[in-house]
Amino acid sequence: MAEDRRKIPLRISTLRYVLYVLFAVLAVAFWVLQIAQHATYEEMAENNHQRTLALRAPRGLIFDRDNRVLVENRNSYDISIVREHTRNLDRTIHLLSDVLGLNEASVREVVERHRREPTYEPIVIVQDATLAQVAAVMARRLDTELPDVVVEQVPTRRYPAESLAAHLFGYVGEVNYQQVASDGLDSGDIVGQTGVEKIYNSLLMGEDGAKHVVVNSMGREMRTLQEVAPVEGRRIKLTIDEGVQKAVEEGFRQLGYAGAAVILRPDNGEVLALTSLPEYDPNKFAAGIDRATWASLTTDREKPLEDRALQGRYSPGSTFKIVVATAALEEGIATPDFKVHCSGGADFYGHYFHCWRHQGHGTIDMEQAIQQSCDVYFYTLGNMLGVDKIHKWANLLGLGVKTGIDLPNEVQGLVPSTEWKKATTGEKWYAGETMSVAIGQGQVSVTPISLAVMMATIANGGTRVTPHLLKAVDDGNGWKAVPEPAPKSVVQLKPETIETLHKALSMVVNQPGGTAYYDWHKPGPNTADLAGFEVAGKTGTTQVISLSGAKAAAGKTDENLKDHGWFVFFAPADNPQIAGVVFAEHSGHPAAAAIPIAKFAVETYLAE
Amino acid sequence: MFDRNLWHYIDWLLVGAILTLCLLGVAMIYSVTGAVHGNPSQLYVKQIYAIVLGIFALVVCLSIDYRTLADKSHFIYIGALALLLYVLVFGTLAGGSRRWIGLHVFNFQPSEFTKLVVALVLAKFFGDNRQQVPTVVELGVAGALTLVPLALIAKEPDLGTAVTLIPIYLAIAYLAGMRMKMLGILALAFVLLAPVAWRYGLKDYQKERIVTFLNPSQDARGAGYQQIQARITVGSGGLAGKGFGKGMQGQLQFLPVATNDFIFSVLAEEQGFIGVLLALGLYLFVIVRALEAARLSNDRLGAYLVLGVLASFTFQVIYNITMSAGLAPVKGLTLPLMSSGGSSVIATLAGFGLVLNVRMRRFTN
Repeated sequence: MAEDRRKIPLRISTLRYVLYVLFAVLAVAFWVLQIAQHATYEEMAENNHQRTLALRAPRGLIFDRDNRVLVENRNSYDISIVREHTRNLDRTIHLLSDVLGLNEASVREVVERHRREPTYEPIVIVQDATLAQVAAVMARRLDTELPDVVVEQVPTRRYPAESLAAHLFGYVGEVNYQQVASDGLDSGDIVGQTGVEKIYNSLLMGEDGAKHVVVNSMGREMRTLQEVAPVEGRRIKLTIDEGVQKAVEEGFRQLGYAGAAVILRPDNGEVLALTSLPEYDPNKFAAGIDRATWASLTTDREKPLEDRALQGRYSPGSTFKIVVATAALEEGIATPDFKVHCSGGADFYGHYFHCWRHQGHGTIDMEQAIQQSCDVYFYTLGNMLGVDKIHKWANLLGLGVKTGIDLPNEVQGLVPSTEWKKATTGEKWYAGETMSVAIGQGQVSVTPISLAVMMATIANGGTRVTPHLLKAVDDGNGWKAVPEPAPKSVVQLKPETIETLHKALSMVVNQPGGTAYYDWHKPGPNTADLAGFEVAGKTGTTQVISLSGAKAAAGKTDENLKDHGWFVFFAPADNPQIAGVVFAEHSGHPAAAAIPIAKFAVETYLAE
Repeated sequence: MFDRNLWHYIDWLLVGAILTLCLLGVAMIYSVTGAVHGNPSQLYVKQIYAIVLGIFALVVCLSIDYRTLADKSHFIYIGALALLLYVLVFGTLAGGSRRWIGLHVFNFQPSEFTKLVVALVLAKFFGDNRQQVPTVVELGVAGALTLVPLALIAKEPDLGTAVTLIPIYLAIAYLAGMRMKMLGILALAFVLLAPVAWRYGLKDYQKERIVTFLNPSQDARGAGYQQIQARITVGSGGLAGKGFGKGMQGQLQFLPVATNDFIFSVLAEEQGFIGVLLALGLYLFVIVRALEAARLSNDRLGAYLVLGVLASFTFQVIYNITMSAGLAPVKGLTLPLMSSGGSSVIATLAGFGLVLNVRMRRFTN
């Protein structure tokens, strides 16, 4: 018993010391976590329960010159996975594809593509989700089955008139890698990819806001800590007249032709209408375009994504005679009463050149030659001028150079010169080649927009205005007008030149015998009163078959072999307010489409 | 049976420390369930009821002379085994295991009370033995007495509670004079048996927990999640804590079973290192003070009983606090006195009833 009594207290004190040590170790452990490593864990705790959600800024609205809304925004819903709080990604992908009715493999592929991005960045699985999809996901989220799936409300571009001015407005899309690198944009930003959306992206793009929220372990938002409201993009006003724009497109659609049209103000270059057909619906791009739609747009033989007004190069045909006439008058090569006899063709350099009118025009002066578009007359002028003077005046009037319009990817046309030929082929220019240049065939090619500028320059007497689309910007305090871009070049045309051309071009439309007379004065659908509003213009035809040759013609239908029709115009003839061009692909004679569409546009302009 | 004079020998300081810890637990449960912010959870009220019941159990365990209880220990032991068997067959199934007997007011968990029964029966067994050093046979019999309920509890399955029976056995055997060599042999046997137990004894989720503990970041979203979250919770508390009702980790459910297994993490987050030191101090005081009862006991039975009760309590306290700091594998082991859970609170308080019982009767025969 004595032994017993000594042993128990000894062992108890041993135990007590062991306890002291254990508790001391515990205290030290807590000291390490709570004091020494406090900062680290505090940050981790913050990240744990705080989440930053992007509040997407709506892009600025786009208005026409009369404050009509052209492009606006709507709300759509994106469904994304935020991996930050994912416990089992496979399960989430499986469940989410099931709930959304998507192919699991393709969802997996999307996630895989964004794998390297930070885990807090949402990976968008569905853009512009249907309400049924949103509802399905929200229900699962309430059951905490999909804590890592977010439904985000996103302002999305809406083009109310669908395909109206599609090439002009352009479309928006997610930034690509190059843009992220070069423009200081963030991955996932929606930016303009073409058209006005692209050129004025920095104005239109707002500044995204952010919402710092407290979330629980299921990712559900508990409360908002801080909210930085998004800043809407600037509202911009275009020079476009929605009515005229619609009229032009309606004209093309009614007649069933592809083509392009540009109408602008000759005094300052404001573009009232600019279109290219066939068009596409930019709404389809707004919330991410699906592959099938993209594929059908890119493989369509009609090339709906190509902006024919800026990127299509065509022979100007007889519209080019305006350039040749201007050059002859300005260079003093010929006077307006210079006469030529047309017998249906003429010999130059041992080669017989036909006039389009095989019976000939007889003896005519310059005004008549323009009015009736006599080829022989212009062969003669061209021969007297030489190709370099034609080249010089074409450039001064706006052809063979870029117009400098505020739209991306404008293409430059071509008006040949001896220098150009030497540089490109190394050969000298043969005088015989000038013949086809003089009537706007051969190597001459122009874009519709540049022809519109040429007409504006003729209309205003020599100022090569810069066509532009931006009229005003709302900086938050109302509309601030944007200064007009300076003209590209200014030559003061001789009064005699202006007078002759204006008169001759008016005769084309308004005097019997003019190439547009009959078709312009044919009763049309519009009853607007054109009295006192005299239109001056010029027709043109681009031969398709002779250009592309039989080889290119193989496999094409007759419809594809028909000539293109041009009509360039300004009005009123004595004091021009508008100038423009209508180009109708494979419409044959300008009468089929170009003239009626131009007429419809002018009438609409007047009616407004 | 209950001498009025005995009241004077009740260790009121110990009682005070125990009740302080209970109230600290209630406060933490109140905070973490969001009751501060008007969340209608009534868990803290349930806990108060449990404490009241526990005090009643404490008084009962205090009133009956522990020697009388020890004399009936074989009956109590058999009764306890019967209850464990009953649970295995008829227990309420929850979360994949049968641990509870559904009563109308709360779920009764026999395994919590089994600890006391094992302490009682082992104290009695070693107390009856007059030899200086327990023989191998005696150690074997005592081991068997421990292993039967342990196996039954492990089968529920509730490995955490089952394991708490081992310290009871070791502590009483140690105090009974078991040679240190023997302790070494037992430790060796444990090490050798571990792979066998790993292979046959553990369920997959149990294995996963242990693997994860060794490398938590490997699976930060899976089982390692709780460990990392525990460290974040504790570490973000800092010196003074985030304040009562302001702990994010617990309230936003980053910590699982915050009112139960991780109540100490919540305390560390809201009350900081200062609160941790205070709570650690209280627990240490309770344990050391109770050890005094063992030292003061006038017979070996009393000393063994106190130590048996204290062994599972101390083991659980130290393990749970280590786990709550993310420094031990996550096991469903509650923090006695503070964690929510009726059976745990009641059984723990009853156990301290036995401790007070021994101390109070140190002068009686």
